[in-house]
Amino acid sequence: MIEDDIYRTSSQFRLWSYTEASLRSLREKTNAIASERVRAALRRAKEAHQSTTSANGTPQTGSDGEGKKMDDKEIDCLTPEEELAFVRFYCEKTLELGETYKPALPTMVRATAIQYLKRFYLTNSPMTYHPKSIMACALFLATKTDNYYMSLRQFAEGIPGKKPTTQEEVIGPEFLLMQGLRFTFDVRHPFRGLEGGIMELQAIAEGQGQPGPHLTHQTPQQLQQKLLAISPGPVRASSISDRIGRAHGTTREILKTAAQMTDAYFLYTPSQIWLSALLLADRPLAEFYLDTKLGGPLTSTDIKPDPSDLQNPLYDLRTKLLRVLTDCSALLQAYQPLSSDPGQMADLQRIAKKHHHCLNPEKKLAPKRTPAGTEASPAPASESETERLAKKRKLEAEKARSSQDIFGPELVTERTKQ
Amino acid sequence: MAASPFASRSPSMTVASPNTLRLRAGVTDWPPRPAFTSKPLAKADQELTEQLNEDVRQKYVKDKKLGEGTYAVVFLGYLRNDPASKVAIKKIKVNAEYKDGLTMDAIREVKYLQELSHPNVIALHDVFSSKDQNLNLVLEFLPRGDLEMLIKDSDIQYGLADIKAWMGMLARGVWFCHENFVLHRDIKPNNLLIASDGEVKLADFGLARSFADPYLNMTHQVITRWYRPPELLYGRDNTPVPWTYDQISKICDAFGTPTEANWPGVSKLPNYIPTDPASIVPLQGREFFYRQFPTAGPVGADLLMAMCSLDPRNRITAVEALRHHWWTIDPRPTRNEDLPQKQKSGAKKMGDDLSRRGGQIDDGPFKNAARQLDFGAMK
Repeated sequence: MIEDDIYRTSSQFRLWSYTEASLRSLREKTNAIASERVRAALRRAKEAHQSTTSANGTPQTGSDGEGKKMDDKEIDCLTPEEELAFVRFYCEKTLELGETYKPALPTMVRATAIQYLKRFYLTNSPMTYHPKSIMACALFLATKTDNYYMSLRQFAEGIPGKKPTTQEEVIGPEFLLMQGLRFTFDVRHPFRGLEGGIMELQAIAEGQGQPGPHLTHQTPQQLQQKLLAISPGPVRASSISDRIGRAHGTTREILKTAAQMTDAYFLYTPSQIWLSALLLADRPLAEFYLDTKLGGPLTSTDIKPDPSDLQNPLYDLRTKLLRVLTDCSALLQAYQPLSSDPGQMADLQRIAKKHHHCLNPEKKLAPKRTPAGTEASPAPASESETERLAKKRKLEAEKARSSQDIFGPELVTERTKQ
Repeated sequence: MAASPFASRSPSMTVASPNTLRLRAGVTDWPPRPAFTSKPLAKADQELTEQLNEDVRQKYVKDKKLGEGTYAVVFLGYLRNDPASKVAIKKIKVNAEYKDGLTMDAIREVKYLQELSHPNVIALHDVFSSKDQNLNLVLEFLPRGDLEMLIKDSDIQYGLADIKAWMGMLARGVWFCHENFVLHRDIKPNNLLIASDGEVKLADFGLARSFADPYLNMTHQVITRWYRPPELLYGRDNTPVPWTYDQISKICDAFGTPTEANWPGVSKLPNYIPTDPASIVPLQGREFFYRQFPTAGPVGADLLMAMCSLDPRNRITAVEALRHHWWTIDPRPTRNEDLPQKQKSGAKKMGDDLSRRGGQIDDGPFKNAARQLDFGAMK
């Protein structure tokens, strides 16, 4: 069994890997279904609104504008492209939110949360569920699934804002989110692979390198010499080890940002992603690394080709891989953070404004029990969910009375006996 | 790259031993077709995500209850279009004590079982939500009880070849978890369930986690107490000392006392308890293991010794254990169909095993202890 076979059994491959075409078509489908439902819901809301106003005889000034707009033209829904940009904004916000905690939430947790958001919005539309309310929930769920435990209370208190975020607002959409994730919580990140690659490169730099499994003839000394002979990197480094360290830092930064915000995870495997990022950070170093695994070099003219490289049986694989890595690098390189790009920001504001008018009114918390005109809570929980939470709170209160110990009463009794 | 992403891991796609399940209907899912294409857009009375869940839910029918515990209710179930098929449907109970959403044990179990597909790990076929936000795990049906049941039954006779077969299946399951960077952290006989064809399957991933990333530490407070290795007992721990000491002393009596000589650095561990030099038990050699486990034979004793090394750095890994030559010498492991088994159905036992919380022993004074300790570790 090889690593690829194992990766193919992962949920990331089985459920969350696409071609560009299949990804686009899925997003179009989600958008089409949601648009239809939003239009129907807004029509119903308008009808209900009209019947109440005519019964009261007094027109409600607050929501007039909205009603008129719907009369004037067919409700204007977001396009799949607009949805994507809108969700991306909240992916960037997730990264920032994770940063506000003291200490900041680990990169891995934030990356997992961002992928949760991206996955959730493949089969859900931001017109149905506002990303603002899903975002915090995704980040909290990621702390649980990535073993970075903090209590919900602690988490909710850490969310900045004029109005404090309640625990219910955070946890409300959890089940919905998990359903959107198709109950797969594992995200295979490129970070672990990068750490391994960097360790290997550092070992080679120190003359302790191991030859690749298919190129066993290489000695640690040969590897070290080849590494020292690679063409200069993007910045001047004091030593090869320093250069590897810098490349490591730059690559991590790309993985933290571009790799998260783009569709890289949907289109490429974790190893393809980190190798592509390393190519962007320090191309000669990344190519050297590939050479140690698959032989080469393919293009370099300044190094005398090793005779064994000339009949490299892995040549085809190396060529194919380089093509994939080049595509992935281009995707990563094209990424521009929204906040640093006024053009994108202006477009986003337009989308947000449009979104305000096509948010599905029926997907807010218990709309039937919310009086018309008042703002509904963003948590789309059902009635039974509300009841369940009430029951839970009651039980908690009882529990709190019986024991203050986080270890629970039973073990405490056990200890007292001893 | 998978062009059709919405294939559920239906029984036909998992590598569960073929005899265990003959879920013919699963075949229709391969090659996987995106479920949503079959739905006409005009009938979109549900969001796409809800449609997908409904499609999974409709695949199965819940039958009689097999067991109920603190954590879950387990039902017998079958595929709607193949009533002869059998699955176990584990419905996770809402834990009223835990207010932070889905509990950690449920999250861990779902997370890891979704990733692990191996003949010696219980197969998770599907997960779906039913009304009132209940989480349902569709698991492989394992009707022949667990290894603990066999061990405790004095009427059952088993020999070296049987042990070798069971141990081999366990070792392969553990190896596969580790190969996938997953630590089970609660391996014990009643978490090893037996399929109708005799295959042993590692179950209950409620305490599992991934390997820590480089440079990060993990907690020591895991594994049902009685099965913990000495380094975890010596680790940072909030539990009362006498109990830890008692367990450590039992390990020392059996295998030898950990000292700086046989385990460099042991005295630096946070909970290390120095032993009076007069009562130090010398490290046990191969003869001891052979004496204690004569059935294993001298080569088997060698393997056991390597697996029970006090110093964790010298303890063999799962893959090293699998490469040991004990597996290839006579006798060959018993074939699954010839393995000893209980006559009466173990389906109820499966129900009990699957509805229990991880780290929990069926009964006794320390019930729930491991679970609560684990809570402490999550601070």
